[in-house]
Amino acid sequence: MEIEYEPRQHYSESEKQNIFNNEFMPHIHSMYNFGYRLTLDRDDAKDLVQDTYLKAYRFIESFQKGTNAKAWLFRILKNSFINDYRKKSKEPSKVDYQEVETYYNSEEVDRQITPDLRVESLKDMIGDEISNALNALDVDFRTVIILCDLEGFKYEEMAKILDIPIGTVRSRLHRARNLLKEKLKSYAKSMGYNNA
Amino acid sequence: MATSPNPFIQADGKKPTCMEMLQTILDGEATDEQRVYFKQHMDHCMPCYKEYNVDIAIKELLKAKCCGGNCPDGLADQIKAKINSTSA
Ligand SMILES: [Zn+2]
Repeated sequence: MEIEYEPRQHYSESEKQNIFNNEFMPHIHSMYNFGYRLTLDRDDAKDLVQDTYLKAYRFIESFQKGTNAKAWLFRILKNSFINDYRKKSKEPSKVDYQEVETYYNSEEVDRQITPDLRVESLKDMIGDEISNALNALDVDFRTVIILCDLEGFKYEEMAKILDIPIGTVRSRLHRARNLLKEKLKSYAKSMGYNNA
Repeated sequence: MATSPNPFIQADGKKPTCMEMLQTILDGEATDEQRVYFKQHMDHCMPCYKEYNVDIAIKELLKAKCCGGNCPDGLADQIKAKINSTSA
């Protein structure tokens, strides 16, 4: 579960500073947003981001200059969240992914069609509806949506960040989107779209 | 009207569902060939066409509404200060 922080590179002090300032720091806003969406608390997000950057600096020699710094940082943050933060919090335990994958792979999938949601009703969601719907998802489902839809990571990058196979990325994302649509649909209904 | 073989078919020969194809397209994981195929598929598959537009709209909404919020002022400096004090 813990990242392998084996130093593979050797950097001088000025190289370290250089990598840190030019490759790591530019991602601080995305990192903060990720931390906030995971913890749903601004102070916790701040702590998580700070811890992540301190770890990133400490283990900078296991990072290869010029490679995907954003994915590397996101992975550290995610691990810090699981190992340090989640333990302390009251987050419910993990969902049963076994069940999720069976669900996805079953023939039922095509008929188990996603809730019928219309583009027009989405256009009226100009407030916090989508944000609230996202935050209401179980953290593991929330995470894949953040990584894919907000941050634009590819499946392969997500698999590395989350330490799960690509097939699981796909199925978790699929399930997460269906849950999100269910929530959006209930908002749409409350907004007066009867056939949302 | 010759139809080309479905480029979404996996090595194991398993036929992909509409939703699997849709997800691959939506997340930018598709090859050019798959994109062309799916575009044609949408012309005669109403559920895919509808779902595709909803999914795109949700993606856009997420980006517009959930990305915002810069990190607090001073956090970057705070981090740099901590690093300088430990590495000095
Ligand atoms: Zn279809």
